[in-house]
Order: sequence, then C-alpha cells, then structure tokens
Amino acid sequence: MKLNSKFSLVLLLAVGLIFTSGCDKDPEPENVPEEITRVVLVFTAPGAAPIEVVANDPDLGGPQSMEIGAIHLSAETNYTLTISLYNGYYSAADPAYNVTTEVQEEGAEHQLFFSWSAGVFSSPAGSGNIGTSGTVNYADEDENGLPLGLVTNWTTGGAATGKELRLLLKHQPGIKSATTTSADGESDLDITFPLFIGE
Amino acid sequence: MKSLLTILFLFNAAVLLARQNCSITLSGKVQDESNRILAGATVQLANTNQGQATDAGGHFRFENLCKGNYTVLIHFLGYEPVEKQIDLNANKELQIALTLSEKLLQAVVVEDRATGTTPGTTTTLGARVLNETSGKTLGETLQQISGVNTIQSGPAIFKPVIHGVHSQRILILNNGIRQEGQQWGAEHAPEIDPFVAENLTVIKDAGAIKYGTDALGGVIVVTPAELPVDEKTGGALHLVGNSNGRAGTVSGLLEGSVKKLKGWGWRAQGTLKQSGDSQTPDYVLSNTGFREQNFSLATGYHGTTKGLEVFYSRFNTTIGILRGSASSSSEDLALAMERSVPQYTTDFTYHIREPRQEVTHNLIKINGHLQRGRHVWNAQYGLQINNRKEFDVRRGAALSQRPALAYTLYTHTLDAERETTLSEFHSRCVGLNGMIQDNNKIDGTQTLPFIPNFRNYSAGIFWIEKITREKVTYDFGLRYDYRLYQVAGFNFQNKLYKTQFSFGNVTATAGTTFKLTGPLSLTTTLGSTWRPPNVAELYSLGTHQSAAAIEYGLLLDEITSQIKELKGSSVKPEHAVKWVNTFKLAQGKWQAELSGYINYIFNYIYLKPRGITDAGRGPFAYFRYTQTEASFLGADASAQYEIVTGLSVRMSASLLRAKDERQNDYLIFIPSNRVETSIRYEKKTERKREFYIQARIKYVARQTRAPRVVAPHQILEAKQQGIDLFETDTRNFDFMAAPAAYTLGSLQTGYTVPVNHTKLNFQLSVDNLTNTRYREYTNRMRYFANDIGRNISASINFTF
Repeated sequence: MKLNSKFSLVLLLAVGLIFTSGCDKDPEPENVPEEITRVVLVFTAPGAAPIEVVANDPDLGGPQSMEIGAIHLSAETNYTLTISLYNGYYSAADPAYNVTTEVQEEGAEHQLFFSWSAGVFSSPAGSGNIGTSGTVNYADEDENGLPLGLVTNWTTGGAATGKELRLLLKHQPGIKSATTTSADGESDLDITFPLFIGE
Repeated sequence: MKSLLTILFLFNAAVLLARQNCSITLSGKVQDESNRILAGATVQLANTNQGQATDAGGHFRFENLCKGNYTVLIHFLGYEPVEKQIDLNANKELQIALTLSEKLLQAVVVEDRATGTTPGTTTTLGARVLNETSGKTLGETLQQISGVNTIQSGPAIFKPVIHGVHSQRILILNNGIRQEGQQWGAEHAPEIDPFVAENLTVIKDAGAIKYGTDALGGVIVVTPAELPVDEKTGGALHLVGNSNGRAGTVSGLLEGSVKKLKGWGWRAQGTLKQSGDSQTPDYVLSNTGFREQNFSLATGYHGTTKGLEVFYSRFNTTIGILRGSASSSSEDLALAMERSVPQYTTDFTYHIREPRQEVTHNLIKINGHLQRGRHVWNAQYGLQINNRKEFDVRRGAALSQRPALAYTLYTHTLDAERETTLSEFHSRCVGLNGMIQDNNKIDGTQTLPFIPNFRNYSAGIFWIEKITREKVTYDFGLRYDYRLYQVAGFNFQNKLYKTQFSFGNVTATAGTTFKLTGPLSLTTTLGSTWRPPNVAELYSLGTHQSAAAIEYGLLLDEITSQIKELKGSSVKPEHAVKWVNTFKLAQGKWQAELSGYINYIFNYIYLKPRGITDAGRGPFAYFRYTQTEASFLGADASAQYEIVTGLSVRMSASLLRAKDERQNDYLIFIPSNRVETSIRYEKKTERKREFYIQARIKYVARQTRAPRVVAPHQILEAKQQGIDLFETDTRNFDFMAAPAAYTLGSLQTGYTVPVNHTKLNFQLSVDNLTNTRYREYTNRMRYFANDIGRNISASINFTF
C-alpha cells in the first residue's frame, strides 16, 4: 500500500533520529566538600601528653552512625581544646580533607556551641550554651571579633563518670551576631561524646 | 451526552482532526423556551466528524467550514432534540431553542472515536474557566475539578493529585506529548504554562490506554487551540496583578495564517510572571517569590485529508522555597516547627535566594495526519529537554552558587496510530508508542548525586475498540509495554555502579455508559494498569533539606545500603485496579453528577520511616522506599441548580479514604474531605456585554485519617535515652499533627465589553476574603508557616 510505505518512511526517519543521540560514557564522580566524617578533639594541658579523642563515620554517607570515642580527662586541670574536622571522601593528602581550614576562613558564618553535664567543669561553670545561655571560654574569634569555638579553654572539676560533652557546629550565613544562639542557623555537626573525669 | 463529546477535545491533544480547507464560521447559542442557557448541550454537524458541547454560556462555534449544506443536530438530556438544515455561504449565528421532553429520551448517536477513555469520568475546564483563573499555575487551576487536589510546597509549587494519587502515577499530556520531567520529587511541579491551553481535561479512570504506563491515578490533558486557517491576524493580551506577593503577569498571543499558502496557520505565544514573597495574615513568607518566562511557537498546514504541524515551547522558572524550611538535622526541624514565625523572616522582597529551584523545559513536537477512506493515520514525534537545578543553603558562598541537585533529562517520544471507522457504531484504534530517555547529572554539584544517570528505552502497542448501541456505549482497550533501564550512578561511598534491567506488562480497560430512564446516565469503567518503578524510587540516596530526612531507594540494601541487583530482590512493578462509577443527571434547572471510585494499588511504592541515623549532624530520621498494598476509596459529587435565569447555585464535595492495607494504617499527604458552595449571577445584555459575579465558600475538614505523629523532639528525646523509636514500630508517621479544619471565602466578578471587532474583559477577585490564618494538610510548608493571606487579583484581557 502506497500510504503505508510513506508512513513507514517517516517512522523510520524519526526512529533513526532518536537512536543517533547520546553516548555511553561513565559519569564522573563529584567532589563532596561539605561532608564532615571525622572529628578529632585534642585536649592539651601544660606538662602532660595531649589527649586525642576521635569521632568517625565508618561508612561515610551510609546508614551506620558515627563511632564516637570517650573523653578521659584529669580532675582540676586546665585544658585547651582544639577541634579538627575532616572529610573522609578525600584522601588525607588532599587539601579538601581538612575542613577545619574552611570553617576558619568562613568563621563569620559559623559558630561552635557546647553543652555538658552540669557542674563537670569548674570553668566554665553551668552546663553550656546549647539551649541555655551559659558561658563558654572561647579562645578564638572570627573576622568580626565574634567567638568561633575551634579553640576553647576548660578547667575540669572533681572526678565524675558517665557524663557528656556535646558540640554543635552551626552554619549561620548572614545572621551570625553577638546575640545569635545555638537555635539559629543550620547544623553542620552535632556530636555528643561520653565524658569521664578521673582523680 | 456532553461527556461523549468532551472526548473530542481530548482528541485534539493527541491528534489533529481532519480539517477542511475552508473558512466559514458557524456559531450560536442554545437555550430553552424560557431563555435558560443550556450548557453542555451537544451540537453536531452531521456528515462531518465535528461535534461540540456548549460552554457555560450555551455557546458553540465551528470554524473553518466549507460552503455547502449542513445538518445541525442539537441534543440535551431532558429536551427534544432539534435538527436544522443550513445552507452555509457565509459566517452564520444560530439561536436555538429546545423544548422540554416529557417522554423517555431517544438514544443519541454521536460519532466519536475510540480513545480508550470512557466519557463519564472526564472533566474539562474550558476557555471561560481558564480565563477566570488566568495567572494561576497549572496545578492551582486544576483544583477546581472535584476529586483533583494538589500537593503544595509553598505558594508557587502545586503538584496535581487525582483521587489521592500523584507524581509518577499521573500522566500529563502536554499538547499530545507525555510530559517528562523530574516528576519523582513531591516539590517538583509540572513545567507547563497554563496560558498555552485552550482547555484542560482530567481523565479520572485508570489506564487511559492510548498514553502508556503510569496513568494509575488518571491523566491530565493540556490542549492548545487549533491553529487558525484563513483568518486574519488576531490575538489576545492578558494582564494580571496580585496583591499578595505583589505579582504581575503579562501574557500575549498572536496568530494568523499565511495568505499565499492556503491552509497554513501560525501562532506565537508568551508569558512573563514575577512574584515577590507571599504573605500570611501576620508575616512575610521570606524567599517564596518566583519568576517565569515562557513562550511557544506553532505552525502547521491543514488540508482536507492531511495535515502537518510543528510546535515548540519553552518553560523557564525560578522558584524560591521558604527560607525557614531549610533544616539539616532533626533538631533544626524541631526548632523550625516550634517557631511561630519562621526563621530568616525579613521584609518583602522580589529577590530569590537559596533554597530555590531553576527549571527549564523545552518541547519540540512534529505531528501529521492523513485520511484515506475509513482510516485516519496519525504520527507524532516529540523531543523534551528538561533541565532542573536545585540550590540549597550550603556551607560557604562558593558552594551556595552551585546547585546541590542538577540534571538534564532528554526524552524522545514517537507515537503512531491508525483509527478506523468500521461502521456508524463501531470504531477502532491501533497504535504504537516508543520512548527513549537519557538522564544525566550536570557535573559540579559537589554533592553525592541523589538519583543516578540512566537511559530508559520504552515501547508499547495498543488496541482500542468502541461500540455505540442505542442506549449503551462500550469501550475496550488493551496494551502491552516494555521498558529497559540502563543505570550508572554513585553509591554512598561515591563509588560507581552500573546495571541494567527491564519490565514488561499488560494494561486493560473496559468501560460502558448506559442511558438510564429519564435524564440519567450511568458510566462504569474498570481498568487495570501498571507502572514500572521509577529510577528515583529504586536508587534515591540523600537528604531533602526541607524535610530533614534521608531517603534510600528500593534497591539499596537494608543493612549495608549497598546497591542490590533488581533480579533476586523483592521489587515489583505497581499494579492498579481502578473502578469508577458515575451517575449524571441533567434535567431542567438541575445538573448533577455523582462519582464513586475505588483504586487498589498492589506493590504501592512509598517512603516509609525506618529508623534514626546519626552521621555527624545530629539524629536524622531516615526513610526507605517500601512497597505495600494501598487502597483509595472515594466519592466526588456536584450539583448545580438555576434558581432564576442567570442565578445559579453550585455545591461540590469530595471525600476520600486512603489506606495502607498491609499495615492497616493510613497514608500521609492524602487530601482531606472538602465541600465547596458557590452562587453565581450572570447577565448578558443585548449589546453583547457580559457580566458575572460569584461568591464561593470552601470548607476543608481536618484530615482525621492521618498516620500517627512522631515529632522531631520525640525522636531526639528517645535518641538521648538510647531508644530507636522505629526499631519495632515501623508504622507510617508524620512530623506534625494534621492542621485544623478551615473555611475560606472568595469573591469574583467580571465584565466583558465588545469594542468593534475586539473584546475587552475585566476581572476582579478576592481570595481568602477574611484573611484567615490556616494551614493546608497537603502543603509541605505547613510544618513551618501559615498559608497565604488575602489576595486581591485584577486582570484585563483583550482579545482582538
């Protein structure tokens, strides 16, 4: 049939058009600079070896929760806490592995908040500044002179077991000020460490 | 019988009707002896394929007729049919008066074609309604049909819901082409400018069979007007302003024909929209503005037995998402939900920041038809290029400039069919559909891809039969579809995976319409249809910023989250069986419709809460796509009564109960029961001036059939005590209880004046008249903020 052949031709042309498009190349993996998969706390006290505590995500973006180490400190001691953040999607040699630098550079829109079991520290006293208005001894600041929290100072109280220290990194783009609190902005990091204070 | 003819409108979407190479217009108005307007009367031109239903003003209009003798047949249930002989030489206007019929109605034979759709279950919004709602989004416009709702994400994103199902389970036909975008997201609205449409039709039965898989809930058909032939250049200009959001819309259309080439017509159309932040009665919804720039071009030839048309449209939008809805942990979510005013609320602005969506959709379509004897051949090819970028609030200014999600989706579709008129009472349509899709991430998002890259090859064949008897119409349809997926994506460790698999299955429908005694008709349709799982349902991996929840696809291992092969997994395609029964009554001053339906979906795919994970940002609820059995049982009712000439009242109600049958639980985001009452007065003067005023009250009940509530703070408290709330109890849940019932009032008025050969129309409307504070259960913004307050809208429409 004449008509059929005409239509077949049109069909054939159209089908040809479809099949000529596209190619079969594997997609390229993305860099994922925003992830924080490893957190290292270093407590230093004069005359003593630094105490390192690690929280690590064993399966990166998988469903397993972070593996969080316990903090063991000595009683009635002055400590400086330095926090480092890492992105396990990168190799340790890659500059992107260390997220701490980035948070430092963008300090004007970040702040670390802390809370702990009440009375564990003699300084700062109280239970912290997450959800309450307690003080934290910030030892660093952003370009606007506001606290950042990657470096903080602590004095432990007496011996205690089964206590907690929580740290919360908030991203507060465009809103960080002297009055913003842990309730403002979005959470980049929120980890609670078990805390023990020995004699 | 008007419903039988609405099929013809439908048809325009997929097929160009055979048209004559002539230019006379026959128009008119249908009334009864007491000058009551008869809307929905069928008007047919015997010996042609043309038929129409009169619009709400009782008007009909046949264009591009040739000189000659015609027989016009007019039918309306409850009235004596009228047959008029006309010798047509020039444009003609008819006034037709029908007389009430006391005896049983004669069977009406309408020559329509096999579409695989039973007429009783379709509803069309015509030009008048679309004009009265101009400036609204597609989803918002469709909400006027009872049984159709939306899932909203703020003031600008409306996703249509038919009888409780949405997204992948609804097919949208845009100018005859399956709309293919990233439809898997609940916050992804259809990329269509309603100004393109002359009418919108919703088919509520399952498996409207011509169009392929996925139509488990129904089909939305967006139909542009036919191209003009042998008419002088004309057009329309619409200007719409809204007080809420301080929004403005300009839409224009220009059309004509090519003088030297008889039968060639063209049209150009474009729309510009801009809205700033919307407002609740008490505060600004910051970052809810949007912008749209759309245009379309069409040209085509229509001869007596053949036709060819080329269509291009581009849809481009930037939509802001409420800034205060972005959260990155359960605690953020808990805090956001407790605030009386959302975080980051600032003064009104047109500026759109993160989170936002930028979407572009291009459609190119070429279609043709050829008539040979009893056969009409139709073929069409469509290419869609969909580009979606979603920008989240991210760490650092540099990252915020990068989309967190970015995909380009190419879709080629090819449809061919042959319609055959076997006899006056019997028609047949057979055809095939082919589709190739290519989805690729746009490199540089610097996030793990939410869905993988994929290639999708689909093919289907169908066969539809339609038989019309004196008092009964039968439709049967059968189709087979095959789909092959090739997938290449990245798992949660950012390692590449590649796989390939296929699905194949049968869709079947049967429908029948009976004329019962008197002015009553009954339509019953039973359809069985299926859809293969979408790639997003199989492989989703990642976080939704507005829900603070992680989603895992069906093919991610329950324990390790590694990618599983489909073969050997328990994943099955969805199957739906939908039964719809519709009674229609049209008698004198009464018009009523009652429709009851049940849709049972086997292997229904949904997001189910599965546990709590803590990947460093604090506890997160995570969801896995899961399959269950779901049932949707509901009814839509509407009735209209004309009190005196021009003054009518209308009531409509829709009821729905949706259940997760396997768990004996309720599903989330199911529209609650609602009732709407309106009163309308309209008048047309001798000098053809038209006026109407309408008041409407909508009552929306609280959704009492909602899953249990597990608030984010409960998740947090349990986590602190070392309890996983979802370890043993995996019932569905919602983060917040369903909001209270609410009532909204609206007022609308319009006036049309003819000026020489042009028409000027003014509209003024007020929505949420009393500036009521409310939250809608199916609006995802309800977790964070009230819905929008009063809006005054004014529009000027000029047709020339």
